[in-house]
Amino acid sequence: MIKHHPKHELLTAFVAGELPAALNIAISAHVEMCEQCQHALAALTEAKAEEVFSVEDFSVFESLNSDLADELDELMIANITSQKGEYTDELVDVRSVDYAGKQVVLPRALNSVDWAKFQGVGKLSRARLDLDEGSVRSYLLQIAAGGSVPMHTHKGYEVTVLLDGTFEDEMCTYNKGDFIWLDESFTHSPVSNNGCLCLTVADDAPVFTEGLSKLLNPIGRFIY
Amino acid sequence: MLQTSNGTMNQSQVENKRSMLTPEQSAELKKWLIAVALKRDKQAFAFLFKSFAPKIKSFGYKQFNSEALASDLLQETMSLVWRKAHLYNADKGAVTTWVYTIMRNLSFDMLRKMQTSKEDCLSDDIWPIVDAHAADSDTEAFSDHLLKQQLAKYADALPEAQKQVVHGMYFNELTQEELAHQLNIPLGTVKSRLRLALGKLKQQMEKNS
Ligand SMILES: [Zn+2]
Repeated sequence: MIKHHPKHELLTAFVAGELPAALNIAISAHVEMCEQCQHALAALTEAKAEEVFSVEDFSVFESLNSDLADELDELMIANITSQKGEYTDELVDVRSVDYAGKQVVLPRALNSVDWAKFQGVGKLSRARLDLDEGSVRSYLLQIAAGGSVPMHTHKGYEVTVLLDGTFEDEMCTYNKGDFIWLDESFTHSPVSNNGCLCLTVADDAPVFTEGLSKLLNPIGRFIY
Repeated sequence: MLQTSNGTMNQSQVENKRSMLTPEQSAELKKWLIAVALKRDKQAFAFLFKSFAPKIKSFGYKQFNSEALASDLLQETMSLVWRKAHLYNADKGAVTTWVYTIMRNLSFDMLRKMQTSKEDCLSDDIWPIVDAHAADSDTEAFSDHLLKQQLAKYADALPEAQKQVVHGMYFNELTQEELAHQLNIPLGTVKSRLRLALGKLKQQMEKNS
């Protein structure tokens, strides 16, 4: 049962296309698994479309005299309608990842994304998505059964979408499909008793906060 | 051809920069899009183009801060509207929502090309245009979706006149009367074409099941 969803503001920005690709992919992955957010998204998209297409149009193209603009329009229309109308939707491939001896089907949003090879330290293993978005980094992260991530906090935000399995932190237990948003006000140390596969997005490296874990700070780079 | 009474969303109205979203106007957009889907109706397409063009251009200008790129976005968006019209599904929502999705997706991929070294097109997998999400969550809707896909495949092999009727009924969800009106043919002709088409489809589906 999914209990954690993207906030309304985040869904709104998603619909408007204002977010980095990595966040869009994380939200889309959640929505694919979450009926509640599918409905919310349908309504938000409809409202956004109405807004965009009913805005008073203080055209930025007033400089063009309208006869010329009309002629350009006619040209474009003629050009477009000379194309054949056929368009077949290609069948969408499904991609999967092998982990813990099973195959997990990945969300459609990852279909055209490349990622590096999985690399592991102890019970953690991750593959970086090749999205080229500067400080926004995204990974597929596997935690083997009994594995944990040292206590850490974040300079920016950290998003985790649970694609398979479960994990726990000080606050609660998370299940498949959950979308977890954390920012610098949270400190946590996730543990996965039975193993899990996640998609993570962070806009800055986590900062490890306590005792021995401080020594592990370089691992921050590694995980998120 | 499109009835002249359909053309109330005319040039002067576009130039008056009014909102185009009264229920009548939404219905009109739908009628035009379906006319493009069924008959590749160029006049209906021109009406659609003129309704959306100013808004797509100003949306594009806000995104790219460039008239040339805004114009590219307009061309790309309306090209897909022309080429994909037959995939528009009236029960999946308003024409404005469908066109918005196409435009937002194209715009996102264009921006990404400008801002990164990547040439990937991620948008259609992030925001699928055919509503695969909804279908997955509901097995009944999903099998209905599969059936429609299958139907679409066989319908493509039908003669043009029969294909139009099948598409109009099952994908654009028009009544037989509406179809007769849209295609400008007698109701009896719609019925007989439909009977022929369904006979052939049934044969095909039985052969392949
Ligand atoms: Zn949700």
